[in-house]
Amino acid sequence: MRTETVAAPNRFGPIARRVALYAALILLAAPFVIPTLWMITSSFKPLSEIFASPPSFFSENPTLAAYSEAFTFQPFARQYLNSVYIALVVTAITMLVSSLAGYAFARIRFPGRNLLFVVVLVGLLVPSEVTIVPLFQMFKQAGMVNTHWPLILVTAFAAPCVLATFIMRQFFIALPVELEEAARLDGLGRFGIWRRICLPLAKPALSAVAILTFLSSWNLYLEPTVYLTSPELFTLPQALTRFTDAYGGEMWNTQLAAATMTVVPVLVVFLIAQRQFVESLAHSGLKG
Amino acid sequence: MGRADAATGYLFIAPQLLGVLVFVVFPVGLAVWYSLNEWNIFTGDMAFVGAGNYQAALEDPQLPSVLGATAVFSGGVVVLNLVLGLALAVMLNRRFRGSVLFRTLFFSPVVVSVVAWTLVWGFLLQDNGGLNGALAAVGVDGPNWLQSGPTAMIAVTFTQVVRSVGINMVLFLAALQGVPGELYEAARLDGAGSRTIFFRVTLPLISPTLLLTAIITIVGALQSFAQIAVLTEGGPGLSTTVLVYYVFQQAFSFNDIGYGSTLALMLLTFVMVLTVIQWQLRRKWVFYED
Amino acid sequence: MPTTAKKLVSALALGTLATAAGCGGATAASDEDVELRMTVWTSNEDHLALFDSIADAYIADHAEIKSITFESLPFEEYNTTLTTQIAGGNAPDLAWMGDLSADLIDSGALVPLTETLEGTEGWGYEDLLPSVTGEFSRDGELYAYPFSNSPFALYVNTDLLGEAGQTLDPAGLTWDQVSALGSAVNAATGKGGFVVNDFNYSSWNTLATVWTAFGASAWNEDGTECGFDSPEMAEAFTFLHQAIYTDKSMPGPGTTADFFAGDAAFAVAQVSRAGNLDGSFAYDIQPLPAGPVGEYSVIGQAGMGVLQSSAHVEAATGFLAYLTNPENAAKLAQYFPPPRQSLLTGEALAANNTKFTAEQLQTVVVDQVAGAVTLPNHTNPAEIAQKAKTALDAMWTEDADVAAVLGTVCDAIDPLLAE
Repeated sequence: MRTETVAAPNRFGPIARRVALYAALILLAAPFVIPTLWMITSSFKPLSEIFASPPSFFSENPTLAAYSEAFTFQPFARQYLNSVYIALVVTAITMLVSSLAGYAFARIRFPGRNLLFVVVLVGLLVPSEVTIVPLFQMFKQAGMVNTHWPLILVTAFAAPCVLATFIMRQFFIALPVELEEAARLDGLGRFGIWRRICLPLAKPALSAVAILTFLSSWNLYLEPTVYLTSPELFTLPQALTRFTDAYGGEMWNTQLAAATMTVVPVLVVFLIAQRQFVESLAHSGLKG
Repeated sequence: MGRADAATGYLFIAPQLLGVLVFVVFPVGLAVWYSLNEWNIFTGDMAFVGAGNYQAALEDPQLPSVLGATAVFSGGVVVLNLVLGLALAVMLNRRFRGSVLFRTLFFSPVVVSVVAWTLVWGFLLQDNGGLNGALAAVGVDGPNWLQSGPTAMIAVTFTQVVRSVGINMVLFLAALQGVPGELYEAARLDGAGSRTIFFRVTLPLISPTLLLTAIITIVGALQSFAQIAVLTEGGPGLSTTVLVYYVFQQAFSFNDIGYGSTLALMLLTFVMVLTVIQWQLRRKWVFYED
Repeated sequence: MPTTAKKLVSALALGTLATAAGCGGATAASDEDVELRMTVWTSNEDHLALFDSIADAYIADHAEIKSITFESLPFEEYNTTLTTQIAGGNAPDLAWMGDLSADLIDSGALVPLTETLEGTEGWGYEDLLPSVTGEFSRDGELYAYPFSNSPFALYVNTDLLGEAGQTLDPAGLTWDQVSALGSAVNAATGKGGFVVNDFNYSSWNTLATVWTAFGASAWNEDGTECGFDSPEMAEAFTFLHQAIYTDKSMPGPGTTADFFAGDAAFAVAQVSRAGNLDGSFAYDIQPLPAGPVGEYSVIGQAGMGVLQSSAHVEAATGFLAYLTNPENAAKLAQYFPPPRQSLLTGEALAANNTKFTAEQLQTVVVDQVAGAVTLPNHTNPAEIAQKAKTALDAMWTEDADVAAVLGTVCDAIDPLLAE
């Protein structure tokens, strides 16, 4: 099941074919790459050059002013920390909740299992704008507005977590049952089996879940904007839109600098980890 | 140990089930209640109006145009997203110099925040912006993208697809790598061409992933809000006002929570119906279903 | 561009609280330990320091007041955040307000001020200019103090004009001349001619700075009849349409031309935006050019009022009277063009203004306020803005039928005006 095996059909294709492939890929990649690239290079431009027409990539007078401005205008370091810790907490909770539920839905027989699974799947389908108004009311009643609780709880239990539960269930269904039976003969209970046997085997699925969950928390925009009003509590996507002057005018270069700082680390991590990422998805039960 | 085992089962799913009930099902119930009422935001008065908001939806002169735009946008996004996602996955599902780099490049917009992404595209799509500058360099006089209905729709669809196709590409890649290589060998020995192999072997084998990505993509498309709000504000006219954007305007800009909730529930109904249809159809086209 | 996104997204919070607000209204409050809060949209440290110093002076004289805080909310999200607070039963005691004022007054959310202000010794109620109190009054009763009355003016990039070999004669300047100069600049340099700041082919209410020159208005005095189908409005939009598509003196839709980045020869903007001038080009400022009705002026206003839901209406009103008395109003006038005739002088405004001379400020601010009209203001502003914008989009094509499009604008907003 290695990549190389699959690649076999075209491996010895003529050179022309290879050139065509590269050409197609480079052309296709342009709209994916140029905006990000432009964002990064423009963050080093003075304001007047950002609007230059026609637009250019590289500045004639590069400056780091926007980067220092990003930190002095708002508690940006704090906001960065908020985003990181919320995403990590959400990811940890989701991995626990989804691996438990996914295991039970896959392996344990109990009355109403299929019905309850459908109920859980509904969580994946409800658009957030249906629930955001009622949720705001609920969190307000609970005194949790302007805290990080809504961002953690909703993400860790609603849609992203349901997707995770689905992925975990698919994985555990595909896992050979014999392993568990052997463990049971050794006297392990359900929890012991889940903890000692299944979780270690589920590493690929768990890492897929971790990556997807981290990204959905990291990119959350609507919810923080609704629940948070204090700048020191903001998360990054929300903070990006707050780089405005006293009249609401956009501080474009500062925004671009801040956006660059939020994007580059994640891109670097993905670049390093992408093989594991794709392969963990491949072995996660999402396979064909 | 049947009964004890069942109890363990309930215990294991309890956190997830409670989470969905508290953070999804109960709020949907509240939304239904809101849709039956009229609120005055400044005084806090809430008046029961029964089906009044639903009646209003039937009589809303803007709604047909909004639903039309929603269908065009979502349909375009779903089709392009699946086709492009699959095409990229097939192209990159082999190890050649740069394949890792290209995977990263195609995936990269997924990690860029929607706000930053659309902001930049807003610059590029200006009449005197980067896209038309590039087109002019090859002798094409580009249109004023965001200022006429059809091109604005193309622009928002395109930016949405480019931003989100990376996830589908990776899911398809994962699925393709799960296809046993022996099957290809066997098919080739039977004399099948690469097109036949793709449609007869690959596609059926990855159809469960196709189903999952189709569902995720449809839900995502029906919820894309930031692109529309930032790039076109639903214009020109109502040409890119999709349902989710309309819901936001009604509920949160015009303070009509009751009507906004009504429209949001309509959106939910669409999603549900589409999902059920796909689920029913899966027996026809999903290769192996347990 | 992303402003609408933010407006809408943040607007989310706005409606969400309404149920909790049922128990609004002043409750009996103790006379001790009063804590007052005022929402503002400035985050400027000098502004906030001034407010704090005035508040400290007031607290020193009023033992019952424990604290007065000024809460800075982002300008873009100000209305929605304030509405959220009101609806959620967490309203401030005092608030700045812009185009939310009509809704607030109509729903009875504001405390009437006239009696208190007239009864405050030395306050000088008759010093207020009638032209600036209208938007914040109902039936002769004032509901908010119009602390900022900033006229729109014509910013000029004299470098760009020079580059195009043009000069500007400020005497008797008309819109036609501005358009001709803009056209020449565009032809010579490729840069934009004139822009109306913040319009962006979306926020049409800023075009009042142009159509007022033609004697048009968005609706009649009491806001019940649409004015877009008037011949004056047709004339105004014909002028704009020609400027865009025939004379090329105004950048068309989808074309970015930021005056403050040096991309346009003229901009219509408030004097308060001068902070955006970074010295990269030589500039001048003039009153708005004359139109068919001659000279005119338009102001953008901000008021501050007391909310009925405050637990300390009396204390809050007392503080507002102090904050706006002649002595403190003079301090505020350093930053905000004041509503008081006696304070409206070029010297006062120039005290903290590094961009313009006292003389310039006299001409473009002081001389304008008394006779000014305000930007269109109505209840339900967001829905009117959206409906009219949707209809008006059809105007911005080369072969648009100006009169027909304006007719559809009225069709779209008539039901809302009638409400």
